[in-house]
Amino acid sequence: MAEVQPTRMELIKLRRRIRMAVRGHSLLKMKRDGLIMEFRELLEEAKVAIQKMVENYNKAQQKLLIAMAVDGFPALRSIALSCCRIPPSFTVKKKSIMGVVVPVIKREKVARRAIEKPYGILSTSVRVDEAVTAYEELVDSILEVAEIETTIRKLLEEIERTKRRVNALEYRVIPRMKELERFITFKLEEMDRENIIRLKKLKMKKAKR
Amino acid sequence: MISRTKAAYAYIVARTKVMKSRLLKAEDFRKLLNMSFDEIMRFLEETEYKKEIDEMAYKYSGPKLLDYALFSNLAKTHRKIYSVSFGDAKILIGNYLRRCDVWNLINIIRGKNANLPAEMIEETLIPAGEFSLEELRSMLSKEIGEIAKELEGTIYSEALSKIGSAPMSVVEDELWKSYYKAVLSVKTNDFESRVFTHFVKMEIDLRNIKTILRLKAEGDTVEEIIARVIPGGYELTEDEARKLATMSFEEITKALEGFWFWKVTSVQDLSRLEIELDKNWIEAIAKRAGKYPLSVLPVLQYIVLKRVEVDNLRILGWGKYHNIPNEEIEKEMVIL
Repeated sequence: MAEVQPTRMELIKLRRRIRMAVRGHSLLKMKRDGLIMEFRELLEEAKVAIQKMVENYNKAQQKLLIAMAVDGFPALRSIALSCCRIPPSFTVKKKSIMGVVVPVIKREKVARRAIEKPYGILSTSVRVDEAVTAYEELVDSILEVAEIETTIRKLLEEIERTKRRVNALEYRVIPRMKELERFITFKLEEMDRENIIRLKKLKMKKAKR
Repeated sequence: MISRTKAAYAYIVARTKVMKSRLLKAEDFRKLLNMSFDEIMRFLEETEYKKEIDEMAYKYSGPKLLDYALFSNLAKTHRKIYSVSFGDAKILIGNYLRRCDVWNLINIIRGKNANLPAEMIEETLIPAGEFSLEELRSMLSKEIGEIAKELEGTIYSEALSKIGSAPMSVVEDELWKSYYKAVLSVKTNDFESRVFTHFVKMEIDLRNIKTILRLKAEGDTVEEIIARVIPGGYELTEDEARKLATMSFEEITKALEGFWFWKVTSVQDLSRLEIELDKNWIEAIAKRAGKYPLSVLPVLQYIVLKRVEVDNLRILGWGKYHNIPNEEIEKEMVIL
């Protein structure tokens, strides 16, 4: 505080900074609330997507089990050999939610028709198709959950950062600047009073002469 | 005097009859349904599966042990049938069992494409066809191109020549088509060839109808469906298949009334339908095998029944191990 020059110019500058900080504080508060609202909406979406993924996983496991029981483990392993070289393809784009850059995973449909699958129709049963389709759907829902989860994580980081800024402005920056304003005002008033007294004393001295 | 061919069949049929009597009956399966997985394994250890279970037990456990033991036993049974047969019967049975070669070739190509170790691929092979285990092992050490070159001039060369230029699914289906084409062209004496061809044509019908319904349910086009149909069906000829491929799924199920394999009352889902069709097929085979007792048909019937038994035991094992309800397991089984 001692470093600050208690001048009118400094007071004007400080008041301008306080006004800006208050405006920034309210904007950040609004951003934080907006992000929280967005986060809540996404949370609901995530719940649905995760629920769907779990259902798809259970379904895929069951279908695989039935395919394994009907066609046999060696047969399923052999079919898996022909499928394991095809990774799911997707492209990652970006979008902005209140300035937060989040990924948008453009999924290229993983699920394929029986004719497009990498194994012959004649050497497999429909249960294999069902198991493969169930797992392709599972990959689709995993990608969907991955997209939502990444968005949620980024939003949470941003909410945390915004919250820290709001708190810093509310409890540290603005109070300190206001205290400084009070200090400069007090100092300026003090200087005014000193000047008046000095002038009065000069006037009295002049009158005595 | 009994002809030499009849005598040969009398011997082979008698051998398969003994083997058939050892197959598990419907009531055995019902009994097994009420057992736990461990009890089923103990039960099987008292049957002809004991040797294979003991052999595989050092490497596998649980349903995988059962699975590999069943595969191994099936291969052993196929080899035994082939070794006890002779004359025309050996030619016909040998040709029919070439299906194991197709299966093995497909597995080797798939494994090679996925760069898997030879031991892993070998576990999926059934050495019960024309190729011996040694030949299959030597294929495992070669590249796909070398295998195709080695098989030039065989029934598989045309299908294998498509590797690289066509998707693997097409190559696999072409291998099956080559197999059926070769099997249908086998000629022995008139009567035997006719009976054998009829059996194979019925099998083609069954595979074709399953393919048509499977692809139709997914909305594939007529050309896509026809490309996967095996030529040479009994009632389901290529023309019939084309006609069916143009119809909707519901229309197909109506149009199929009257075909030998179609005794289906309601179509709930495709997997159940496949089981129904298999049951109808087995019944039709049994009828024909009864009609021609001194032919290759009782032997082929046994091969099919053995496969069904192995499938049923596998379903039971996996189902019981993973606590699937009895009703669900029974629905997946082909119990006659």
